[in-house]
Amino acid sequence: MPSRLLARWQGVLLTLTGVVATVWLGLTGHLELYIHPRYVVFTVVMAVLAGALVLAWLVLDAARPAAGPADAAAGHDGHDDEADDPATPRRALRALRATGTLALVVAAVVGLLVLPPTTLSSATAQQRTVNAAAGSLASSTTPELVGGDYASFTVKDWASLIRQGEQPDFFAGKKVTLVGFVTPDPSDPKNDFFLTRFVITCCAVDAQPIGVAVYQPGWSAHLSVNEWVQVTGGFATNPSVSSDQAIALVPSDVRPTSQPAQPYEY
Amino acid sequence: MWIVSAPLPRTAAALRPPAPPRPVRAGRRGAALSAGLGIAALFVAIRLGLPGARLEVGHVLGDFVTLAISVVVESLPFVVLGILLSLGVQILLPADFLVRRLPRRRLPRRVLVSLLGVLLPVCECGNVPLARGLVLGRLRVDEAMTFLLAAPIVNPITIVTTYTAFHFGGGILVARVVGGFLIANLVGWLFSRHPDPMSLLTPSFAQACAVEGHAAHRGGRMRRMAHGFAEETASVLPALFVGAAVAAGIQVLVSRQVLVTLGGNPLWSVLALMALAFVVAVCSNVDAFFILSFGATFMPGAIVAFLTFGAMIDVKMVALIRTTFRWRTIAALGVVVALGCAVLGLAVNHLA
Repeated sequence: MPSRLLARWQGVLLTLTGVVATVWLGLTGHLELYIHPRYVVFTVVMAVLAGALVLAWLVLDAARPAAGPADAAAGHDGHDDEADDPATPRRALRALRATGTLALVVAAVVGLLVLPPTTLSSATAQQRTVNAAAGSLASSTTPELVGGDYASFTVKDWASLIRQGEQPDFFAGKKVTLVGFVTPDPSDPKNDFFLTRFVITCCAVDAQPIGVAVYQPGWSAHLSVNEWVQVTGGFATNPSVSSDQAIALVPSDVRPTSQPAQPYEY
Repeated sequence: MWIVSAPLPRTAAALRPPAPPRPVRAGRRGAALSAGLGIAALFVAIRLGLPGARLEVGHVLGDFVTLAISVVVESLPFVVLGILLSLGVQILLPADFLVRRLPRRRLPRRVLVSLLGVLLPVCECGNVPLARGLVLGRLRVDEAMTFLLAAPIVNPITIVTTYTAFHFGGGILVARVVGGFLIANLVGWLFSRHPDPMSLLTPSFAQACAVEGHAAHRGGRMRRMAHGFAEETASVLPALFVGAAVAAGIQVLVSRQVLVTLGGNPLWSVLALMALAFVVAVCSNVDAFFILSFGATFMPGAIVAFLTFGAMIDVKMVALIRTTFRWRTIAALGVVVALGCAVLGLAVNHLA
């Protein structure tokens, strides 16, 4: 009986986990750690709607005795074929399924409700290769960038300007202050690090790491990977010999800072 | 032979008559309601009690959790929307509303079914419940399958995002929409030749198809809506949560560098991006933006193969359609769709 009860309730329990997590993330402004801001209203509205449906189910349907299809449609996870065979020990199967359901609900509660919301880290930035996408991300906007208001340029703007091959004299003398997190430059990890941000087009799944190289020999002595820093300096031809980054930010000041409220760029 | 009137040789033995509607005692209803509200309150308390706790998990594990949550949070509203549309089709419209308006002849009928996606802007996560609803609403299995494959592609949101990403460059948009439409109809035609369509479905879903006719008419509309919602979430959400974890795990663990080096080869680029499409499982509404970052390194045919194959079949989709179709059906479906997408991609590469 408990396993049948669980099968009947599992959709509602998982929905409730998602609804509570989504609404809380929406209220605290953390939903943008996972999805693009343009989806926030839609996501929260649908979560509230799902919550209302769960409530309606509790009032109208939860106490009713289960009919055939309620049992049938609830909880299949890859053992349906055996259900045809009368020799299958169905009780053991049902217990196994109930254990799986319970584990899934617990995992969902831990992932969505217990763990604090976080951004993606430098581990994913390195795995996805910083600037692998910088060229195509900004292909439609970069022509407008040249001659724009350089003070308001983001890490993404600079990364795409560098990527599209503006000449070194274009960058000469331009002073900037940028905020990002530290990812080592794989082609010269001793002297260079990337000031990195993730660019989100829809949700964190499609996050593309972009960054500008910062030339500071021995940076790892006082900075740690994944730390958020504010870098002030000017662009120049990268003094590093082995780095494949032609242009780098030569810093006059690098200071640790806290993660900004909007950690991603769009 | 409509689904509902179909004979059920494999499941007839397991078929029990639905439980007669018994009056519910007030005490049971109160218990269920307070249990539900208690659990909801517990969830809220857990979330509110721990926001300050800086539980330090490693970066890789932390990113795994973030990616999985991202997939869930992004998909959940579309799943809910899909279930609501699906239940709307089942409950608010008369049972034969769709069927009556569709042509009788098989081919134009499937063509129209595959174009329903234009009216229902639901991405692939949401249209499994919708397709399940269509099967329950007396569409044939092959027609529901055509809808399932075509809807994520012949879909206004998908078309707009694909256009935004690629405009008409490389013929990607046209190849995706036309190619996806053709492949979906090819698959529908192939499965319409199957002698026993019911055997394509999982036994429990076939059983639900047979019983739903009676069960769906018990109780008021609101109760049927709530009942259907609990039922659909029970079968779709576990798959979504597991699929999100699998997709996140693969993203964290598998190096993409290997795939990227393949981009210049006309054959291997197509196969590589199809494999990538299978594992990353990004919604068809937004996968054009995802693959845009590969636009510079991969040939256009590979992009098209990614956009058609990924919209039809990926890790998450397999987990979701597993609730409806048997493994054997999914394997056959996968092979035909993969071959179709590969041919489409190779053709685009050849013309490019």
